[in-house]
Amino acid sequence: MRILVVGAGKVGSTIAEHLVQEQHDVTVIDSNEDVLEDCQDLMDIMCINGNGANAQTLIDAGVDKADILIAATAGDEVNMLCCLIGKRLGARYAIARIRDPQYNESLTLLQQELGIDMVINPERATALEISRLLRFPFASNIESFAKGLVEMVEFRAQPGDSVVGIPLHELTSRHAKLPRVLYAGVERDGKVIIPAGDFIIQAGDRVFVTGDMVTITSFFDALGKNKLRVKNVMIIGGGRISYYLSKMIVPTGIHVTMVEIDPNKAEKLSEELPHVTVLCGDGTNMELLDQEGVRGTDALICLTDRDEENLMTGLFAAHQGVPKVIVKNNRLNYTDIISSMGLDSMVSPKQITSANILRYARARVRGQGTRVEKLYRVLNGKAEALEFEVRAGENWLGIPLKDLTIRKNTLVAVIVRRGKVIVPFGNDTIEAGDSVVFMSCESGISDINELIQVRHK
Amino acid sequence: MNIALVTRFLGVILLVEAASMTPSLIIALFHHQDGDVPALLMTLGLILAVGLPMFFLSRPKDRNLRARDGFIVVALSWILMSVFGALPFTLSGFLPNYVDALFEAVSGFTTTGATVVTDFSHMPHGIVFWRSFTHWVGGMGVLVLTLALLPKLSDRTSHLVRAESPGPSLSKIVPKMGDSAKILYIMYTVLTVIEFCILMLCGMNPYDAAIHAMGTAGTGGFSNYGDSVAHFQSVPIEITMTVFMILFGINFAIYYFMYNRSWHDIRNNEELRWYLSIVGIVILLLTVLLIPYYGSFTSALRYSAFQTASVISTSGFATCNFDLWPVSARMLLLLVMFIGSCAGSTAGGMKVIRVALMIKEAKREIRRTIQPRKVQMVRFDGKGIDESMLHSIAVFVFAYVALVLAGAVVIALENRYDLITNFTAALTCVSNVGPGFGAVGPAGNFAEYGPLAKLVCSFLMLAGRLELYPLLILFHPVVWKKN
Repeated sequence: MRILVVGAGKVGSTIAEHLVQEQHDVTVIDSNEDVLEDCQDLMDIMCINGNGANAQTLIDAGVDKADILIAATAGDEVNMLCCLIGKRLGARYAIARIRDPQYNESLTLLQQELGIDMVINPERATALEISRLLRFPFASNIESFAKGLVEMVEFRAQPGDSVVGIPLHELTSRHAKLPRVLYAGVERDGKVIIPAGDFIIQAGDRVFVTGDMVTITSFFDALGKNKLRVKNVMIIGGGRISYYLSKMIVPTGIHVTMVEIDPNKAEKLSEELPHVTVLCGDGTNMELLDQEGVRGTDALICLTDRDEENLMTGLFAAHQGVPKVIVKNNRLNYTDIISSMGLDSMVSPKQITSANILRYARARVRGQGTRVEKLYRVLNGKAEALEFEVRAGENWLGIPLKDLTIRKNTLVAVIVRRGKVIVPFGNDTIEAGDSVVFMSCESGISDINELIQVRHK
Repeated sequence: MNIALVTRFLGVILLVEAASMTPSLIIALFHHQDGDVPALLMTLGLILAVGLPMFFLSRPKDRNLRARDGFIVVALSWILMSVFGALPFTLSGFLPNYVDALFEAVSGFTTTGATVVTDFSHMPHGIVFWRSFTHWVGGMGVLVLTLALLPKLSDRTSHLVRAESPGPSLSKIVPKMGDSAKILYIMYTVLTVIEFCILMLCGMNPYDAAIHAMGTAGTGGFSNYGDSVAHFQSVPIEITMTVFMILFGINFAIYYFMYNRSWHDIRNNEELRWYLSIVGIVILLLTVLLIPYYGSFTSALRYSAFQTASVISTSGFATCNFDLWPVSARMLLLLVMFIGSCAGSTAGGMKVIRVALMIKEAKREIRRTIQPRKVQMVRFDGKGIDESMLHSIAVFVFAYVALVLAGAVVIALENRYDLITNFTAALTCVSNVGPGFGAVGPAGNFAEYGPLAKLVCSFLMLAGRLELYPLLILFHPVVWKKN
């Protein structure tokens, strides 16, 4: 596909990088020549210098033949204008990043009037992700598939957990209470393993399990991890994510304490969010956190603009025994180091935004056959969970899985048939109309036939 | 330096070179002559014996090609290619001295067309074909060919193309480098085939037509006759070659614009306008200067047009001994040798865009002395040009001239020939033209030079083809340090 990315900032270049890896033809427009030069050196893309909201620049970049136009500059207005012009000039789909809460309310109107097909708000998307993590605090990461029927939950195996030290295929026979879930992946020492039946989970591994929500919940109940309910949350930093997050979680009965350093901002927040306790002070100050009872909170969320402050505060809170710590980190190269220090839940607006856009782009890849419906990059993109909606006509329908050739380092994680979740074994089959979730260490897959084939005898 | 990755790339390049030898081998098998089949087969075997282990045994841990490694890959692969490409000449016993063979191979790959061969009559067809085929491959670039064939070698290939393609900035025609390379080679092949067909229609036999079409396409200038194109004494052939030499000196992006019917982009291309104007003006001036020498306007136009096209496109074919021309005409040709053709073409020289930008910069500097407060911008293609780009072009132009002068000084150490011969030998090598003036003029050749001069000339040709820096950085110690 031909994809035009306007704005080569953090989000723009991340998206471009992933799209190039998936073999799309990517053109990036930015007004800063130095940024473009870096992009040109690092990626196999075309770079065009200019203003993305200028019609001539868009024409030069070939907008008339573009399948998707992604406007990800720093300015909401520029992005809207860019999509408006781009659509008129012939782009098939337009995606705009619009982040100002003020526009958020008139979003549907804007989308319709400007012809924007998808609006992505990084802060809102990040807040949504955090609110999900708060609902299931035992997990360090949650992804949902098949319209929310299936969840994939990541947790860290602790010494003494009943799943540790026993081969996977013996687990259900040894622990009668443990419900049957699928172990979709394990990360150990920075490497992702797709586990087979004889695999043994060790303490310290990050384990991915999938299943329907009820089974997953009872699985964590059986592990004894599902005791915590988050009722008190402390948020450090009063930015846009904090605003959206409070709006989302306050109605569910969670009490929010927010710490903001800027008195004007704090005042405004307390006006906009009447049910939130807004504190004015330095949220990275250990003394202040201690006085405000950080030890008593169920969760601490660090959302300041500085990654380093978020990390340090997060580590302090984890040290103080706060059960759930979530930190915002925009520079992903730290991820491995940070998780080795015990902070498992990390959110990155940049990553969430680009993942959302990628999902949209993937679903619009032209072509026949069964294509990826949803794609989740897990573990920094070291593995992917891919969801397909199987269409009729594939030649492997109805054949038991054990008689099919499945791509190496790939696992059929879940099959959803008519709203029922099946954790698949060798005798199960895939039928037309099923939703199937694969877990794979290989990247760049777009067609189900790349993963599964009839075995030639 | 990422030794494993560089080795792997060099292995690939050698395999591509081996593949590019097959057409010559087929010609050799077809003609049944002495010496060429075993020579080509032995070379092929040697290349595979070195290239295959380099490719398969190198296990690069880090597959990201950094800028420095990219330049090293380009420089070393051109050297390596020439070293192996020279073997058929020596092994066939045709150029028994390896230094001669190396000179000939470098001259082929860099599309210079300077030669040490004095007598073609008993040279086997396979070897002559290989000699001209190096022009064709070297013209568009071996790394570009490699990327067209194997686009997935590395994610960061822009450094390779940047180092190999002529011109001050990297310009892709489509977003993906591999696709870009493919399109370039398709256009290149189509143009070559068209010229091949026209030359056949003009009465050449298929073999001669292929040799001359490849020589024109790469803007190289190797002919299989001692007196070059003058051998045919045919006006249609000269007209065809004149037109195609000029065409191959144009940026290939222009042909892609034509294919896409984006006439707007063609009309806006300032370099093309400069290039065609320079060609037109030089042909006109030369014709006027040559009327007394040839006696008639038509023959003056015939020889001046061919020679102008030949020199500005840095091909170096000859239809007459222009060394005998009046000094005014020779001086004009000498100037043209510096300029060369467009960026993104197969030609050598400093490139029209650099010369044009430097002229504009000089104009600005003059204006600035008169009116220091005037804010001025150097514009090209209607856009303002970055100061750092102008600066780097100015340095390039200096380095180019300095290299020519330094080369001439070293060549002159052999104490052979006169000043003009030694100077133009260096210039013609750096600019990848082929013939110079004096003893290295169209009637002469480089055979009488000693090994020192031949090696220096080989270096100058490579430096000129790769636009100096990739080759010059090899002398910088930092390059050879580990990461």
